[in-house]
Amino acid sequence: MALLEGRKISKSFGGVQALSQVDFAVDPGTIVALIGPNGAGKTTLFNAVAGAFKPSSGRVVFDGRDITGQPADTVCRLGMARTFQVTRPFAAMTCLENIMVAAINRYPQKPRSFIEGFAREKLSLVGLADMERLEARHLNVVQKKRLEMARALGTDPKLLMLDEVLGGLNTQEIHQAVEFIRNLRDKLKLTVLWIEHVMGAVMQAAERVIVLDQGKVLMVGTPHEVVNDPRVIQAYLGE
Amino acid sequence: MTGKKALLISMLILAGMCVLPLGLGIYPQHVLIVSLFYVMMASSWNLLAGYTGQVSFGHAAMAGIGAYASGILAAKAGINPWIGICLGTVLAALIGLGLGALCLKMGGIYLSLTTLAFSQILHIIIVNEYDLTRGTMGLQVPSLMAEYDKLVYYYIMLAAAVLILSILYRMIHSNLGLNFRAVQNDELAAKSLGVRVLQVRVLAFTVASAMAGFAGGLYGHYLLLVTPEIPSLDLQFYVLAMTVIGGMGSFIGPIIGAFALNILAEKIRDYGEYHVLVFGLIALVVARFAPNGLLGLWKKFKPIKPIQAVKQKAFPTP
Repeated sequence: MALLEGRKISKSFGGVQALSQVDFAVDPGTIVALIGPNGAGKTTLFNAVAGAFKPSSGRVVFDGRDITGQPADTVCRLGMARTFQVTRPFAAMTCLENIMVAAINRYPQKPRSFIEGFAREKLSLVGLADMERLEARHLNVVQKKRLEMARALGTDPKLLMLDEVLGGLNTQEIHQAVEFIRNLRDKLKLTVLWIEHVMGAVMQAAERVIVLDQGKVLMVGTPHEVVNDPRVIQAYLGE
Repeated sequence: MTGKKALLISMLILAGMCVLPLGLGIYPQHVLIVSLFYVMMASSWNLLAGYTGQVSFGHAAMAGIGAYASGILAAKAGINPWIGICLGTVLAALIGLGLGALCLKMGGIYLSLTTLAFSQILHIIIVNEYDLTRGTMGLQVPSLMAEYDKLVYYYIMLAAAVLILSILYRMIHSNLGLNFRAVQNDELAAKSLGVRVLQVRVLAFTVASAMAGFAGGLYGHYLLLVTPEIPSLDLQFYVLAMTVIGGMGSFIGPIIGAFALNILAEKIRDYGEYHVLVFGLIALVVARFAPNGLLGLWKKFKPIKPIQAVKQKAFPTP
């Protein structure tokens, strides 16, 4: 059974149909990439799934539970964590505190020592262990993206939803990041739904790819199938 | 600063505060008592504005609710002022809960405007309900003790301030405090991490209102006269200026601000109404040149350990 399933999700903003009848499924333990040209509706789909807003119609089923229209905090506590395309760190809080916020809401009964240890562990996972006492506003863009991943991991999720975490990295760093995310998935037994523009990374990391175009699912397949499909090429490059 | 060191320093300050009024005359004692009232007001307002980002203009109104509730009960029904103060605190908490819930989905300027309207409505009611409140004449209320003694009042206010500050300190350093700050920093991100944003905001509002009600009740029974000056915008902006000038969002800032401004206010009292102008100017200068207040200014010039730039892999292997 799929961990996350979207059934005929539609969302319109005024006259703009951002998503129409989107069907998709994410199987447990897989890395699924969500790609598509700019304005295809990828982030809108994320928002509709993670509770930032209600879809206009359709249903979202997560871990066997209908979560359609549930607020973001409830959805998070059920085990779904997301990052934001434009990072949203708690700027005036330290890196460690940023992650502690996630951890205390996941484990409200645990003592502070456990929370701190848990948060520290996530921080060193993304290589920011040296920065734990630094306020998040001092981080650079790449570090902020990593902090955001660590913060999402701080909620101890079943499903990790990443929104373009590779922006600003060079080729070698992208390769490392792909390794990192695959290892993370194996180690923490995660499922990953990943919006990404960097096709090289998608090719390496994803087991399945969902292609969105103009608010509709264009196709679903393996990375290899997707990049060789004329419809996808056309969606990206035009006629 | 480690917890132990902080505890030691605050114990020393507290001991100092205990002996401070002994050698002083009645007037400086009065200034200190009023300062302690403002410490409670500014610190609890800071919980709202500094820690959860809710700039409420209804905080003085909550103090007024506490003062009038307890004052009316004591003056009209002969209820013991201590019981009255407790009831006033509960009433302020309940009204805070209601107002907080009403402003639930409002953020930023809308919350400020709603609380501003609330405080104006309350002010009008108090001025016009002459039979109950004696309007602008002020309501004479009984003292907390049989024989009026400034020094005893000082210790009562000091104990109250210590109580309020320790509750605030514990809250700020608990999980709740982390949630408060997360909500203030980025509501949307906090929500996405499982923070119950609305609950957190209403809780902060209720607690802060209760504290203002408590402080107001004590203040009224100290002045022996409860007037519409307590739930006034003047007092509200005074509290705001203290918090901003001291350092919003820090624990110590509002305490410093309350003492500094109240003592300054006494010094420049000779200029009459112009002293408000002086405050405005100070607040302006502080906001422009030291946005984190006096405390922020001190931190800025304190040398901090530079953080080394560490060359590392973009993503380590877990």
